[in-house]
Amino acid sequence: MIPDLSQVGTAETQEWAPVAEAPHIMLDHVTKTYGSVMGLNDVSIAIKGGVTGILGQNGAGKSTLFKLIVGRLQPSSGNVHLFGTNPFKNPAPYSRIGYVSESEHLYDWMTGLDFVATLARLYGYTRDEAKEKALHVLDFVGLSDVANKEIGKYSKGMRQRVKIAHALVNEPDLIILDEPLAGCDPLARTTIMNVVRELGATGKTVLVSSHILSEIERITEQIMILHNGRLLALGNLHAIRELLDKHPHRILLRTDDPRGLGTAFLPHKDVYGVRFPNSDELVVETNNLSSVHQALPSICHQSGIRVTAIENPDDNLESLLGYLIEGRS
Amino acid sequence: MEDDPTDFSREPKVPADDVIAEQPNIASNPPTFENQVEQAVQAQASAVANQHQVATQSQHSPMAEAAVSQFQRVQTQAAQAFRPLTNSVWSKLDRKATAVTEFTLRQYRTKNSTWVVLGIGMVFVAMILMFYGEAMSSGFDSVDNDGDSHDYDGDGYPTGQERIYGTNPWDENSHPDPELVAPDPPEKWIDEDGIDWDGDYSNPNQGYDDDGDCTGAGWVDSQSFELPVNQDTNRDGIDCNVRYTMNSTTKTIYLIKADPSVDEDPDDEEFLKESLHRAFVLGFGKIGFAFLIGIFVPLFLATGLVRDEMERGTLHYIMGKPIARAEILAYRLLGYIALVWPYATVLILLTATVTGFLAPSDSIFRFHDLSAWLGVLLASWLMMLAYGTIFCTLGVISPRFGLWIAIGFGVWEFAMAMISLGAPNFPLTWLSVSHWGIEIINCTSVLAYPDQSYLIEIASMNDDWGSEAALAGFYSPPSVVAGSPFASLLISIFVLALFTIFALFIGQSSLKRKELN
Repeated sequence: MIPDLSQVGTAETQEWAPVAEAPHIMLDHVTKTYGSVMGLNDVSIAIKGGVTGILGQNGAGKSTLFKLIVGRLQPSSGNVHLFGTNPFKNPAPYSRIGYVSESEHLYDWMTGLDFVATLARLYGYTRDEAKEKALHVLDFVGLSDVANKEIGKYSKGMRQRVKIAHALVNEPDLIILDEPLAGCDPLARTTIMNVVRELGATGKTVLVSSHILSEIERITEQIMILHNGRLLALGNLHAIRELLDKHPHRILLRTDDPRGLGTAFLPHKDVYGVRFPNSDELVVETNNLSSVHQALPSICHQSGIRVTAIENPDDNLESLLGYLIEGRS
Repeated sequence: MEDDPTDFSREPKVPADDVIAEQPNIASNPPTFENQVEQAVQAQASAVANQHQVATQSQHSPMAEAAVSQFQRVQTQAAQAFRPLTNSVWSKLDRKATAVTEFTLRQYRTKNSTWVVLGIGMVFVAMILMFYGEAMSSGFDSVDNDGDSHDYDGDGYPTGQERIYGTNPWDENSHPDPELVAPDPPEKWIDEDGIDWDGDYSNPNQGYDDDGDCTGAGWVDSQSFELPVNQDTNRDGIDCNVRYTMNSTTKTIYLIKADPSVDEDPDDEEFLKESLHRAFVLGFGKIGFAFLIGIFVPLFLATGLVRDEMERGTLHYIMGKPIARAEILAYRLLGYIALVWPYATVLILLTATVTGFLAPSDSIFRFHDLSAWLGVLLASWLMMLAYGTIFCTLGVISPRFGLWIAIGFGVWEFAMAMISLGAPNFPLTWLSVSHWGIEIINCTSVLAYPDQSYLIEIASMNDDWGSEAALAGFYSPPSVVAGSPFASLLISIFVLALFTIFALFIGQSSLKRKELN
């Protein structure tokens, strides 16, 4: 039992103390390759405060980014700073972060309470403190009634939430959630989204990744889009949407009489075409999404045709990416 | 817990440095550690001074109160500033250690492989003990080595008795007067000349002719033709003795040469059982406990300690905490030790108890084996620790091939253990863990049985026993420092500790560089 003291606290070259002015996360020209596969390509960001959504398709580098931030991986080139120190060499800043990995594996033989309390003790809490805190966070994520049940018997949504609970137990300043909504049912999604929003509201820095635009949209406005390991866009979602609105866009309406409704839409100045992919579907094509959306209720009302559903098929990550990549080239 | 992350009614958390900046008296200094320490010291000094003032004035001073509260504030701030360091290194080291150790133990409990491995070890020991009990409870026929219990002429008097009275053992009509001397039962003349050794390694002149058939002592006819013509065949100038060629430093007996008919008919059963028993203690201790259990239990229980977590992708739950990776490895091993050391202790104590009752002994329980068993316990503990660390490290270095490398290493260890049994001085064996474990048992067995080499030589004198092969095969005197079992013991313990620390060091530095994908 020889604890390696060189790795703790006074690590490597610099002393570590929480620097208030430092960004919580800073990546300086970070590149990560797995053999010949590019995981992350020359990404530079600095994040402090608020909820940031990381958007990207599978393999875009979201998890790689998070693993670099929490010190699971070393960058191939560039520097990663977590609270001003290298997270791969120095585990001290881990006391201020909570990390929910995308890994589905948990210790199925433990109860939810055991899991959270045992890991809480690694922050240096006593047994009693850890249990108290674990019960508190389990209550916060809505698992208090199953706290004494084995994790193996949990549903998918409960498993995600117990992972989130374990990441909150140390009162972190920075919370990193890797695909927290993946595979959850709508109820669990809503619970988790509320949890994330509440965390953001307390002034904590939250990073949350997803490949579904609408999910992120419900959580935060500040987004970061990764594509093929590159940082594609960083900023306010509305600003990006504004750009998108000026782009050819489609609205899908489900109705009994698509042709009649299509006729009603055509006079609108921004509608340049209608299509009928199915007998009960109408697709309106436009160059200005918001103006058509504003006019949509009155058109439907005036035509007197029953509309059962309105969808935005272009309102997803793929079309956003398509637009961004196109716009860049 | 004033900072509750989930209490959303409270104000957003303000970094400690900002709080300090709000204090007017210390705002001028940049909030570094040194300044905070200095402030804390100054505040304490002023608080003490103020308290002193309060004492002398014997009245409540608002100034002192303010200073104390200021001191407490600064103290809190300093503690907050030091949080990362104190949290991760000193004050909470033991809490983390117990947490990881306890977690490891509970994880073992849920794995079937743990119970299978420990159960097989238990069954193995129980079976060996049954064989041992069988061997000890079955009697051995005592052999009349010198043949004097026979009544060759059929006159009712055994040969030994006839010799004393000077009658002819080969003549039916020549025997003592039945009215004066009753014939001895033949058993009296079996095992009647035991081995007389005073245990002194510096005295080559040993042995005593108990039945008098060399010296003729007590015989009616002291010039009987039955007495040997040459009473000093071992040529040491002393008639009717046994000459021991020994090394008093290493306490080794090289040769025992007896004059004719001296110490020639010892109690075979006593010697055979004793020698078998010691062969069992040494053989089972070295091969069964120190080696087989010492290597298989770690192979199955320690190789996956960190590797399995890495493979399953659950290691980050532990590693994502403010705890050094090197510490995780050490504490995981601590959890392993907390399982296998008590296990080995239980098995060895069980064996020691069972054999203690069954072994040849003057009392109900044979106590003087205990130090030999303690040596076995020590060896098995140290070997389990060394093997466990080595296997765990192999698993960290190569998650995919670690187990195979470990098995290859086990084969090497087995070969070295076998060589160590026969040739303990063969230098190559010094590179193996098993050699040093076996050496520990050698050292303690010399302490438990100082007459070990004597017993082996006696056994080889009576070559009809065949058991000397067993004892001689499992025993060798301490070889590191000849003649000093204590020094050899200490060196062996030191070398095993060195192996462990070296393996731990390699494992820790490998884990530090590992990326957790």
